[in-house]
Amino acid sequence: MMLEPAHRAGDAPRTAPEQDTPGSPSSAASLPNAPADPPAAAAPAEAGPPTRLQEPARDARRRKEREQWLRRRRLERQLHDGAALRISALVLQLGLFRHRVPAGEPDLHASIDGLQDELHAVLQELRDVAGKIYPPLLDEAGLGPALREVTERVHSRVRITAPDERFGPAAEGAAYFAVVNCLDILTADAPPVEVTVRRDGAELTVQVAGMDVRHAELMHDQVRLLGGTVEISALPAPSATGGEPGPGTITARIPCE
Amino acid sequence: MRVALAEDGALFREGLLMLLQAAGHEVVGCTAGGDELVELLTTQPADVAILDIRMPPEPDGGLVTAERLRAAHPEMGLLFLSHYAESHYLMRILQIGTEAIGYRLKEKVGSVDVLTDTLTRIESGEIVIEPVLAKRLVERPRGDKKGVIASLSERELDVLRLMAEGRSNNGIAGQLFVTPKAVEKHIANIFAKLGLHTDTAEHHRRVLAVLTYLRSQRDGD
Repeated sequence: MMLEPAHRAGDAPRTAPEQDTPGSPSSAASLPNAPADPPAAAAPAEAGPPTRLQEPARDARRRKEREQWLRRRRLERQLHDGAALRISALVLQLGLFRHRVPAGEPDLHASIDGLQDELHAVLQELRDVAGKIYPPLLDEAGLGPALREVTERVHSRVRITAPDERFGPAAEGAAYFAVVNCLDILTADAPPVEVTVRRDGAELTVQVAGMDVRHAELMHDQVRLLGGTVEISALPAPSATGGEPGPGTITARIPCE
Repeated sequence: MRVALAEDGALFREGLLMLLQAAGHEVVGCTAGGDELVELLTTQPADVAILDIRMPPEPDGGLVTAERLRAAHPEMGLLFLSHYAESHYLMRILQIGTEAIGYRLKEKVGSVDVLTDTLTRIESGEIVIEPVLAKRLVERPRGDKKGVIASLSERELDVLRLMAEGRSNNGIAGQLFVTPKAVEKHIANIFAKLGLHTDTAEHHRRVLAVLTYLRSQRDGD
């Protein structure tokens, strides 16, 4: 089963339906048995062969999306280098102030301690926000370290396999949030999940194995604007579940640097 | 104590400089990047070098600088300060050394007492880890604890968590309201369960116990 990047209800009107050209790395056509769903936006799949005119529109939108990721990364750096550093410096100044307050002023000492604790709480909230904009560890160290850090706070068992190589801020950002979206909904009794990151030519491939494939949309939402695609392969459904798909593998492919 | 300092944020650098001086330490060098600090310390002796992780040379100049300093001055203590407490960096720091080394959040060394306590422990050879990070690593929300760590009792896990914070036996005893002798017994059990042999120095076994735990968690089983 294949989810194509162009299937997005509610998009601004376009002059031509978007579709990957045959032979492009993320082309739906390169995969056999792609069903004609989802029904909400069946038109693009039925459009005729793409013409050259469609190329600039698709490329422009992907470029815009890449720029959005760069902007998010800049915002995170701005938080770190600006507000966060100022607040940390303020904590030091308060410490210096406390040192100068005579020891016979226990109330003042306690007040300054309280202010420092409060500033620590402010910084923790800033860290939380920064992590949702663009995780600093993803920026500095890449997908492997950033995803492993996430596995420390999720409730179920997750194994991350990722190379040290880098794929560019946009593809890494989309891949990171695509995986985190999946991991965040895992419950404590969920079976172990294996996440594998690798390069496949000009694409970053992220495979999440052991995941209920009905959650594929969570990954698709993150990768489609970059021209990424999502594929699912479910294990045969046990009859007890009424034939619904169960655990399987969700694979996202994202054009990368 | 003689302290050297490298941090690219001017406001924080100046603040830390003043706090160090207020605490009575001699600041032998204060630079905006790692390369300058390495150069400065070729002629100036220091007991502890304080390094920002995220500074020039980019992206994580603090780590590169620390490797060079540890090679050139094995006796010099290293204190990493960062805006983030991440296990990824803790592992990299512990690869640089497991003695006289520390990793703390920038806003958590904001008092003369804490700063001096941190520096003194590092100078005396201890490993100091930001308590919130140590706590997070040992108390994961994961339901099933697999591998060797699963064989530890709840109380032994408590002891291991406090070891991860770099506390002494007496410190652990105080925290858990038990005798230091009881703590020694727990630690001996932890070492035995983790397969750490008695021919290794006590201090190293403590670090290895914590590392074994961290690795077992990071490997996902």
